[in-house]
Amino acid sequence: MSEEQNHNVSRRQFLTYTLTGVGGFMAAGIILPMARFAIDPVLQAESAGDMKAVASVDDLTDQPQRFDFSYEQEDAWNTSEVTETAWIYQEGDEIVALSPTCTHLGCTVGWEANQDHPEEFFCPCHGGRFKKDGTNIEGTPPTEPLHKYEVEVQEGTVYVGKAESQV
Amino acid sequence: MRWSTDDIPSFVKERQYVDTALVPMLPIDFGDGIRQSSAMTEFITVMTAEIERQFRGRMLLVPPFTYLETKDIEECHKEIEQWIQHMKKEQVKHVVMITADPSWKKVEADLDELLVWMPLVPFENMDAEYKKQVISEQIKQLLPLVMDKWKGQ
Repeated sequence: MSEEQNHNVSRRQFLTYTLTGVGGFMAAGIILPMARFAIDPVLQAESAGDMKAVASVDDLTDQPQRFDFSYEQEDAWNTSEVTETAWIYQEGDEIVALSPTCTHLGCTVGWEANQDHPEEFFCPCHGGRFKKDGTNIEGTPPTEPLHKYEVEVQEGTVYVGKAESQV
Repeated sequence: MRWSTDDIPSFVKERQYVDTALVPMLPIDFGDGIRQSSAMTEFITVMTAEIERQFRGRMLLVPPFTYLETKDIEECHKEIEQWIQHMKKEQVKHVVMITADPSWKKVEADLDELLVWMPLVPFENMDAEYKKQVISEQIKQLLPLVMDKWKGQ
């Protein structure tokens, strides 16, 4: 008789088991989402959208050419399409993509935009000038070189990422 | 630069460089002309935003000058003159006004500053690619006008 009783679960044991089980679920329900939030940035895949296709390698020459590319940008509750420009040229094996934003006050510069200054980038606003590699020319308002895009080539297509300062 | 809390501080700081005001001029009509009025607003807003992007280091895009379509253009002329006088008092050297309203043609000669009238291109039903092309074509024609104005000092 006493042996059979041992096989039975006492009220106290039953309650302990159930409470541990239910408690475990509840704890998991609280902790899992928290953990998920905490490690979320790690799980976020580096999306291909960060690099944008702009040109085909075959189109590049040793003279900077203008390429436009656009992408969607989310800005609070607005999603808008943004168009950006890159001046791209190839020198030897290196592909250089420069941002057209003047480092002075942000106007848009153009390659050989002024006849008086060939082989240079020119800013129409205050006459800022940059050499082909983006270096600012002493004596003009800009204080640093044109920003340079990260460049990646995949299967003959040029992709650009963020424009970063050269200094 | 835009009329925003982000850009205005740098405008105040860099005032000696930002010497041009860009003023969109938009007629308002609540009657039969409401479609036309909205099309003009859309068109001019896009155009001025694009010009601002090109020349943001030297231009301040100010809020649009809006007026009732039915108002006499001479009256509007007087009012915009006041705007110009006020801006000039505050160190603005050049004012560029952009409109799609043909009535301004009548008073264009009396304005000292640059008034650009652009024939309205209705953007409705235009696909995005074509729209972009139209805008950049128009802008290409407009940029030299602004640069000439600067050269003339």
